Amino acid sequence: MAPSVWLPLLVLGLPFVAFVLLAVVAPLRRVGPRAGLVSIGAIALAFGAALTVWTEGFVSETTWAWIPADGGPIATVGLLVDPLSNAMLVLVTLVSLLVQIYSLAYLGDERPASLGRYYTYQSLFAFSMLGLVLAPGFLQMFVFWELVGLCSYLLIGYWYERPAAARAAVKAFWITKLGDVGFIIGIVLLWSATGTFEFTDLFEKAQEHALAIPGLPTIMFLIYLGAVGKSAQFPLHVWLPDAMEGPTPVSALIHAATMVTAGVFMVTRTEPLFALVPEVLTLIAWVGAFTALLAATMACVEADIKRVLAYSTISQLGYMMAAAGAGAAFAGFLHLLTHGLFKALLFLAAGAVIHAVGTNDIFRMGGLFRAMPQTGIVFVVGTLALAGVPPLAGFYSKEAVLGGVWEAHLTGPFLMLALTVLLTAFYMFRVVFIAFFGRAHAAAHPHEAPWLMRGPLWVLAALTVLVGVRLALGGAEGHEETPAWLAPLSVGLALVGFALAWAMYQRRAIDPARIAAALAPIDYLARRRYGLDALYAGLYRGFILGFSRLVGWIDRYLVDGVLNVLTALTLRGGDALRRIQSGRAQDYVYGVAFGLLLLIVGAQLWR
Amino acid sequence: MIGLPAYLVLGALVFSIGLFGVLTRRNAVGILLGIELMLNAVNINLVAFARFNGDVAGLVFTLFTISITVAEVAVGLAIVIAIFRVRRTVEADRLDLLRG
Amino acid sequence: MTLETVGFWVVATVLLASSLAVVLTPNLFHAVLYLAAALVATGVVFLLLEQPFLFAVQLLLYAGGVVTIVVFAIMLTERLVGERIAQTSRHVVNGAIVAAAVFVGIVGFLIGAPLGAPRPAETGDTTAAIGRALVGPFAVTLELLGVLLVVALLGALHFARSEE
Repeated sequence: MAPSVWLPLLVLGLPFVAFVLLAVVAPLRRVGPRAGLVSIGAIALAFGAALTVWTEGFVSETTWAWIPADGGPIATVGLLVDPLSNAMLVLVTLVSLLVQIYSLAYLGDERPASLGRYYTYQSLFAFSMLGLVLAPGFLQMFVFWELVGLCSYLLIGYWYERPAAARAAVKAFWITKLGDVGFIIGIVLLWSATGTFEFTDLFEKAQEHALAIPGLPTIMFLIYLGAVGKSAQFPLHVWLPDAMEGPTPVSALIHAATMVTAGVFMVTRTEPLFALVPEVLTLIAWVGAFTALLAATMACVEADIKRVLAYSTISQLGYMMAAAGAGAAFAGFLHLLTHGLFKALLFLAAGAVIHAVGTNDIFRMGGLFRAMPQTGIVFVVGTLALAGVPPLAGFYSKEAVLGGVWEAHLTGPFLMLALTVLLTAFYMFRVVFIAFFGRAHAAAHPHEAPWLMRGPLWVLAALTVLVGVRLALGGAEGHEETPAWLAPLSVGLALVGFALAWAMYQRRAIDPARIAAALAPIDYLARRRYGLDALYAGLYRGFILGFSRLVGWIDRYLVDGVLNVLTALTLRGGDALRRIQSGRAQDYVYGVAFGLLLLIVGAQLWR
Repeated sequence: MIGLPAYLVLGALVFSIGLFGVLTRRNAVGILLGIELMLNAVNINLVAFARFNGDVAGLVFTLFTISITVAEVAVGLAIVIAIFRVRRTVEADRLDLLRG
Repeated sequence: MTLETVGFWVVATVLLASSLAVVLTPNLFHAVLYLAAALVATGVVFLLLEQPFLFAVQLLLYAGGVVTIVVFAIMLTERLVGERIAQTSRHVVNGAIVAAAVFVGIVGFLIGAPLGAPRPAETGDTTAAIGRALVGPFAVTLELLGVLLVVALLGALHFARSEE
């Protein structure tokens, strides 16, 4: 077997081995930190292998028959190794590795058994995500797609004894399932029309213009629905902020860097198919841009540091989707990679802050830069990257996205995204100024995080800078030319956002309350999350609970009622018939006499 | 000459009277007496048919009936006495342990 | 009116009267005596049908044996209970209706049945014929009857035995 096959297989297999080991060998799982070392060791080796795969630039496709049938297997499993998956492999294993190391300190106070459970889930997640990335066809992708969804559910509900966490886990699971239903229907429809799940087969067909099947836009829209759920696009984005109930490293890994980007990855992966349906692409771009703007406005009014980052993630996912919709899938994917780095950095830094302060509320932090300068520096690096300040990683990818959208003549989405650049800078620096530079709270005595947590932070910060510099120096292959005015515009917008935040929260020259009053309707709506959560809750209560009540009522009164009436009748009947059995022999003689009479009469009648 | 129907009606009458006795008597011995009457009616029927059809089998059946009746009375009365020992009564109305 | 006709009516009257007395008399002991009369009357009916052997069997076994046993039983229970067993009846009207209905049913059946055959002359010795039939075609039945009587005897002994 060529190294271009077995190395990716090794990347995929190591976390799986770790997962099976931890899941099956209970004593190993129960010792906690040592279980973590197993998981970390596996993912570290996988990272090394992934790095090799990436630097060597392996390209291969290997499939094995899965569902055999006459005339070739119906479905296959395998590995599709190409630059796209190679980059994702590195990102997933890298962030997984750093997050798992970080978790060792962050969750150090957990009971050993719980920590073992956590690392079991982590290994399963790494395996699932890598399987998704390497999937050569829709079916395998869907299987791993659901597996990462399951891991997300398990890890959001890691502190399942907290009602909020359990509810958030269920919410995330259900809302993503809503999109997944569309996804699987789309996959099956596509399969029934083309007879294959394989990406390469489908791409070949697409190139030969053999995919002019009726209803292709509908099919692709259904497949896109899966991405809407998984990548938290409007209107299914509501689960992601609630998913912050999980441990912060989980948020960094699953709900910022990897799983939520699966939708973007899927759209990028199947870009040749989406290219056939421009109307769906346009829809994707509009929805993405709208999601970006909507989430950014909500981030501006959020006080929970993790939720700010969650809305920021939704917003950035919107960017990626908009880029994919504009036909600039590469730009979107680049943003996916850079965003994976600096958003994981931001989340882990936020985790360090929360670890130190013991609260998520930014208004109860303040002056943290003095207390924990290292965390502060890396947080600012991440913020600058997210805001799109050169020469950090986020600047180039965001510029590529904006350029791609502009090139596609999607003015509306472009304007929304440009406004979002301003808002992004604003809400991120709002957090920085309030949490790190504001007046220190006397009650709290924050301290710098242990080196196990700081290490990953520094690695990610360095990478954010290095990738940015690398992009600045050489640019990436296939990097599209963007209008010359774009870079100054986006930096200028970011600066405006920064200045606004500075003026409002550092200098206090502008009273935030007055701005809020001036923008009262938006402020009101954003604080209530545009009523979407309430709407879903209402729908849930109205439809599902109503339906459940109806079913319950039917069960209690109709089904049980029928049974009760039947039993009552049987009881009454038995009671009545019982009286015939008087136990007196003479009464039975009456029966004999009647029988005799019956015989006589019968004999007379049918003689 | 008295025809066959007259004997049969006589048998039917005695049978019905015996049935009436079985149905109405409270005393277990009284019920047994009613059964005796019914069996007698059967005997009259058997003999009448045998005589009018010239068939000796009916007469043999009559003999059997009489013998069986004797056995039945013996066992039946033994049961009555046994019940009497246990329940201190032979009234059939009170012997309703099998009531549903 | 021949002697037989007169005899039939007389015997029928006696039989029915004593039968009614059996089921209606309040005194159980009297009822047994009336039963004896009814049994004897039945025997006379057998005589009218020219079956003297059956008449004899009826008198010996039935009127003699059965009535004796019943009298014994009554005396026994009477002695045990310590008072005269007064016969009372239950649901007389119901019993009468059902019995009458059965009677009407049987008579109705008889009316419909083809019974016009006249009485053939008596041929040969019936007693001898009965004897031959008993050891001939009915030999097995006769043996079984013997077994039945033994079983009945043992059963009666078992039931009537005083528990000591």
